[in-house]
Amino acid sequence: MSAEEMGKVSRRQRATFAFVSVALVAVLAVSPVKDYFREWKRYERDYVRYAQARPDTKRLLADFHFGIDQIWLPEMKVVDRCTTCHQGITEASLRGPSIPQPFRAHPAVPHGVRDWGCVVCHRGQGPATEVAEAHETTLAWEQPLLAISYIQASCGVCHREDIPQTPKLNRGRQLLSELNCEGCHRMDGLERPAMLGPDLTSVGNKVSRAWLDKWLKEPYTVVDKDGNILVNGYETEGEPRMPQFRLNEQEIPALSAYLSTLKSLPAEPYKFDTRVVAALQNKPEVADLGEIRFRQMFCTTCHSVAVTRGGETKLIGGNIGPELTKVGSKVDPDWLIAWLRNPQAFLPHGLMPGYQWSDSDLYEVSRYILAKLTDADLLKNIPPRKGPGPDEVRLGHQLFQEKGCASCHLVQGVGIQKDFGPDLSNIGGKNVSQLDFGNSITPRNLVSYIRAKITDPLSVNTAARMPRYRLNPVDLEAITTALLGMTGSLSNRGLERLIIPRKSADFHPAGAFGKVYERYKCYVCHRFNGYGGTLAPDLSFEGSRAQRRWMIDFLENPQTLRPTLTFRMPQFNMTDEEARIAADYLVMVTQSPSVDLSVADPKRFTPERANLGKQLYEVRYQCQSCHTIGASGGYVGPNLSNAGNWLNGAWIEGWLKDPQTLVPGAIEPRRTFANEELEALTAYLLTLKQSSPPKAGAGGAQ
Amino acid sequence: MKPGAFTLVFPLLAFAILPACRQNSAPVAVESLGRAYDTELDWNDPQRVIPLNYQQALGKRVFYEKCVWCHADSTPAGPSNRSNLNPNPPLINDGATLNAVSDEFLQNIVTLGGSAMGRSAMMSPWGRTLTQDEILAVIAFIRVVAQPPYQPSVQPKSQYTGK
Repeated sequence: MSAEEMGKVSRRQRATFAFVSVALVAVLAVSPVKDYFREWKRYERDYVRYAQARPDTKRLLADFHFGIDQIWLPEMKVVDRCTTCHQGITEASLRGPSIPQPFRAHPAVPHGVRDWGCVVCHRGQGPATEVAEAHETTLAWEQPLLAISYIQASCGVCHREDIPQTPKLNRGRQLLSELNCEGCHRMDGLERPAMLGPDLTSVGNKVSRAWLDKWLKEPYTVVDKDGNILVNGYETEGEPRMPQFRLNEQEIPALSAYLSTLKSLPAEPYKFDTRVVAALQNKPEVADLGEIRFRQMFCTTCHSVAVTRGGETKLIGGNIGPELTKVGSKVDPDWLIAWLRNPQAFLPHGLMPGYQWSDSDLYEVSRYILAKLTDADLLKNIPPRKGPGPDEVRLGHQLFQEKGCASCHLVQGVGIQKDFGPDLSNIGGKNVSQLDFGNSITPRNLVSYIRAKITDPLSVNTAARMPRYRLNPVDLEAITTALLGMTGSLSNRGLERLIIPRKSADFHPAGAFGKVYERYKCYVCHRFNGYGGTLAPDLSFEGSRAQRRWMIDFLENPQTLRPTLTFRMPQFNMTDEEARIAADYLVMVTQSPSVDLSVADPKRFTPERANLGKQLYEVRYQCQSCHTIGASGGYVGPNLSNAGNWLNGAWIEGWLKDPQTLVPGAIEPRRTFANEELEALTAYLLTLKQSSPPKAGAGGAQ
Repeated sequence: MKPGAFTLVFPLLAFAILPACRQNSAPVAVESLGRAYDTELDWNDPQRVIPLNYQQALGKRVFYEKCVWCHADSTPAGPSNRSNLNPNPPLINDGATLNAVSDEFLQNIVTLGGSAMGRSAMMSPWGRTLTQDEILAVIAFIRVVAQPPYQPSVQPKSQYTGK
């Protein structure tokens, strides 16, 4: 090449050079163009346009700036960039379904967005800046957004104590404890007493082998074609606690053989007073008398029985104890009487109170149960079996352990099996890649996995040992919510210090009252300082509320204060001494700090004041809309006909001032009474007295 | 050279433009998630499930604690007190009656009681028992369960109606 030619550039080279330059510029432009089209920038531009189209533009754009917006809470390890697109999240004027997403404001919840971020409750990926990565499961970002219908699970991560805002979560946790899931699975933070199944130590004395066969095949439940859970043919709302195990034709007889040999507590026939037997045994109506007594004693507060009314048969009664419609065909007569006389000898941790029986009551009620609560066809389809052979018993014992029966049931010689199933402490925090779906058609996400596993454990794992539970759709959602809330240790998320633990406030008084308390199982229905059931009134401050004499009368012969209630205090036939012990304890111990009984001066409650009080009660405040006096009034509050014998004056005044400080969650509204009105109303209520109600006993000799 | 340059440049350009084409695909998936905080069955038609948002769910809770005793025909504890009262209190889902009154009226009668609003004194004042947020939540619950459905007679002006 000559020197002249070196300076020249051929046409072809020029063209190439020009093209490459253009290409280079284009390549260099890729980055800014790509940046311009980022999803979040588009949303930010849309937000500005949206805000400009509204009258409150100035407020909406006051804090706005282009760029990534993030909530950074180092202590909680929160870096949430959600507000980059969700610009209006804290603008009160953008609340409501008419505002387009992603600009809609968050509803007013107790935790502010700026203080907590978004991911703590909603899950998803806080640092992500693309819609799909923030909300869904992608290759690199596994945690999807939690559907709002399960959002209460997130409350449960920190709030181990039940809170009123999370009914679904609370129900789910209650189910986990009622179904004794903790028997097999480890679940941190549940911290409530497990509800064990019956003690089987002497089940061989209680039921026949044929009944065991039937039960093991079809425990408690049948499901009809519409998917309703049926108990003995009647639809029920309660959850059957015994799940269905997959047992084959060898396993059922083996287990029933083994169980029928368990007879460690002898059931000796009880010797009734011969005079009672002589008087009753030939009476044709003895079972009817027993039924009347059964109802008077309010056994149905805890047990349900099928009742036919107006051509429709349904279960009536509570679900604290088992359903009893066909129990007469189930239990051995001698066992039944031994159990009724002293249930705690069979089942110390059980919920059945130890009634004080007169022989005639016991005779009548047991005749009723054995004669009327029966079904001759109950065991019709069960093939007859020979006496249990040693091989069957051995196999049955082995199965009892292999199937995990010992996680719920006690028998002698087999310890309670803990951690029989997988640890569920972190089930709600699992990523999809950690779950084993097998070949199932279940959608690959955590919620579907949990729902499938509970509905049918075999659906995701054909070798699962877990038995099948029958949950109605509402309870399935509740239990799924509770499991989603179990996200294991929070120490790595910086949330540990935020945990509000569940208070375990066991209340088991010692001494004479302790004996009465345990015998009658007061805590199954009543609550004492946060411990116990919620079926009946909270007795934490009963000593401030009720007068001692009234308590004794009531315990000996409970007359309901709320006549419309289906569930009432059972008639325990408590002895006078037991009633005195209980009343003395309640008066001494269960006092509210805000009711001072010593300042209630009866002289203040004059007849004039009482007359004014009657006026206020009937005209000004119309208390009769909720309370009954005599024969008229409403059903919402307790009957006040005997308020003068029942309540303490100081309690009435304290109650009228502020009902909710004395009983949290009381229905009665708090009002602004003047002091004279308080005195007048109290004076009036204290004049309301009934003579003591007659002792119950129609049909039952005491 | 030419084809080589094209193979280099074209994909890059395409790559740069692609994200802009992904308009709105993801948000749809998010919207389809279960969005109801809680639900209530329609009292007249148990097959119909009414989704509730957080505020309405709070209203439902307050309703079933305080109001259900007189404003429903069956209650968690059994029979209702409603038939016992004269005048009969309206059912909570009685749209024919309640759709006609304004939110302000409902807020006032719940807060101050019936006698303050010229209605029956049997309706108690709840202003010192419930917070205003709770009362507004109950009103939101009343509106969502109303049968016939509630339609605010006067639409709030542009402020809440978007573009």
